[in-house]
Amino acid sequence: MDKFIQLVVDGLSTGSVYAALALAIVLVHQATGLINFAQGGLAVLAAYVAWWLTNQGVPLVLAILLSIVFSFALGALVERYLMRRFERGDPDTAVVVTIGLLTLITGVAGWLWTYNNQQFPSLFSLETVSLLGVSVSIRSIGTTLAIVVVMVLLQALFAGTKLGLALRAVAVNPQSAAFSGLPVGRLLMVGWGLAAALGAVAGALVAPQLTLTPGMLDNALVYALAAVILGGLTSPVGVVVAAWIIGVLENLAAVYVGFIGFDLKVAVPFILIFVVLIVRPQGLFGRKVVVRV
Amino acid sequence: MARVVEAPASSAASSFRRRPWVRRAGPLVLLVVLVALPLMLPEGANDTLARIGVFAVAVLGLNVVMGYTGQVSLGQIFFLGLGAYVTAYGVTNDWNIVLVFVLACLVPAVVGLVVALAAARLGGLAIAMVTIALPIVGVPLAKRLSDYTGGSQGLSARFTDAPEGTGLYDDQWQLYLVFLIGGTVFLLTRNLVRGRYGRAFAIVKGNENVASSMGISPYRYKVLAFTIASLIGGVSGFLYMVVVQYTSPETMSFGHSIELLVAMVIGGAASIVGSILGGAFYVVVPDLTNAIDPSLTALLQGALLLVVLFLLPGGLASLPRALTRGRRRSRAGRGPAAPPTTPSSTTGSGTAAEEPETERQGHA
Repeated sequence: MDKFIQLVVDGLSTGSVYAALALAIVLVHQATGLINFAQGGLAVLAAYVAWWLTNQGVPLVLAILLSIVFSFALGALVERYLMRRFERGDPDTAVVVTIGLLTLITGVAGWLWTYNNQQFPSLFSLETVSLLGVSVSIRSIGTTLAIVVVMVLLQALFAGTKLGLALRAVAVNPQSAAFSGLPVGRLLMVGWGLAAALGAVAGALVAPQLTLTPGMLDNALVYALAAVILGGLTSPVGVVVAAWIIGVLENLAAVYVGFIGFDLKVAVPFILIFVVLIVRPQGLFGRKVVVRV
Repeated sequence: MARVVEAPASSAASSFRRRPWVRRAGPLVLLVVLVALPLMLPEGANDTLARIGVFAVAVLGLNVVMGYTGQVSLGQIFFLGLGAYVTAYGVTNDWNIVLVFVLACLVPAVVGLVVALAAARLGGLAIAMVTIALPIVGVPLAKRLSDYTGGSQGLSARFTDAPEGTGLYDDQWQLYLVFLIGGTVFLLTRNLVRGRYGRAFAIVKGNENVASSMGISPYRYKVLAFTIASLIGGVSGFLYMVVVQYTSPETMSFGHSIELLVAMVIGGAASIVGSILGGAFYVVVPDLTNAIDPSLTALLQGALLLVVLFLLPGGLASLPRALTRGRRRSRAGRGPAAPPTTPSSTTGSGTAAEEPETERQGHA
């Protein structure tokens, strides 16, 4: 039982990282209707920037904050100068553009900082604490809490501020938003920037565990996409819950299901997707989208 | 295949190509070239050509689902790997080679069918989001099933030594095999995408709602396109074993999957010629960048892909057409000074009228 609870807590913490990445994907999808496959790549780049800053003697917390600011700017710039051209066109082309961006970012990171694993200092200590008689690692709790805090902030931004209202308006209907005088272009940049910043948080939190490599988040991207499919593209809450379910289930499956083990646990979300797609194609929490011809 | 391979070279002279004797002789000339080429080239060139053929077939498969049907797939390399593993396993167990070939086509096709049945249920980009998992799950799966796949060590199988009595070297024999099997696949696929199914694919790509209002089920055609793509991927896996004779989990890594997609877009989406160019890109460019600096490969590929998407969305295959259009536009800009009777301008306008018929199926 002790082990079981540890596994669940650890699963929640990795699930939180997937959730942050998945939320970033949903954020971009709601604003522009496309899936950004470079979301993980952007996060890795942010983690590299933070790592590079700490090597220059910048304290870790400040380095991570700076990398988040950097990501926001980079996300906004990518939207303005790269994606803007493809947003109105064929969505498949736009997706290929994001895949090109992923390749490019991976290439840049590999070229600047080599493909070797780098040690990223952990924000939280690796000690364990006793919680209700069960020992769990501080890092897992810290990661989960940090991401929950970020999500609450994001929710507050979207629900309680004028900027959030404007962002939601652009997501619902860009044309009407433009007619009401909203600067749609700049709001899209903000949306992409927020998504990239969210990814940067995830990158900084997961980098100590995975060690920093250009392809560090390739697997996490698969988990995040699985969470997006399971939760439904229209439901941020659903996506977060799905990411947590995936994180916990893959951890449990790795230990308790003999055939899966640690090397094949990446198959768990895939199997889940299969079951869900066949039983409930709109996702666990999503709405059916009806399109008028 | 013959006429298509010719197309980029001869696009400037298509009025010449329309003459009946040229139409009949063209394929014949190409056939002679294909037969003679392996005999004349050095071993290294034969090997490179054979590898280009292998990946041209893989890119062609990707083109069926992505270029012609508009469904982004990030898992094509998985089917190549699957076909290669089936081939290697069959050969090491001394199965009949024809049976091995059939299995190398069928097993990936069935797996592709099952994946597509689930993935195509969600509209939009679900196929991309699900297929990205194929290489990422495939690599650890191949390592795990080490009884069949040889684990991380991989499997090697030699079954394509030149038969005694032909007097051919191994590389020549392998290249002939690639030409024969790959050429057949290209011909069949060309007929497929130009016929009834190709038109249905194009409508599904253009607008799913229009497709279903015309009685064309987008779901069914997406599944069909994906299954065919998987089958062609399996064939390319068989050819991979013919040429490389070794496969490991690394064959179907995520990076290669992305490279394949990059190659397809740069070669030219929804184009048969583009598939060959894509195969060439896949094989030649890493060789070139490795010669310069291995750590630059990913960077250059990403940058190239973005540049192509910005400047030439149709890929390299659309280059001749884009050039003709540019030339015509600049000539039109010069106004009446360009006399319409000069011989050079008749070839130019002749191309513009003729070219869309041959390569534009997918844009309908």
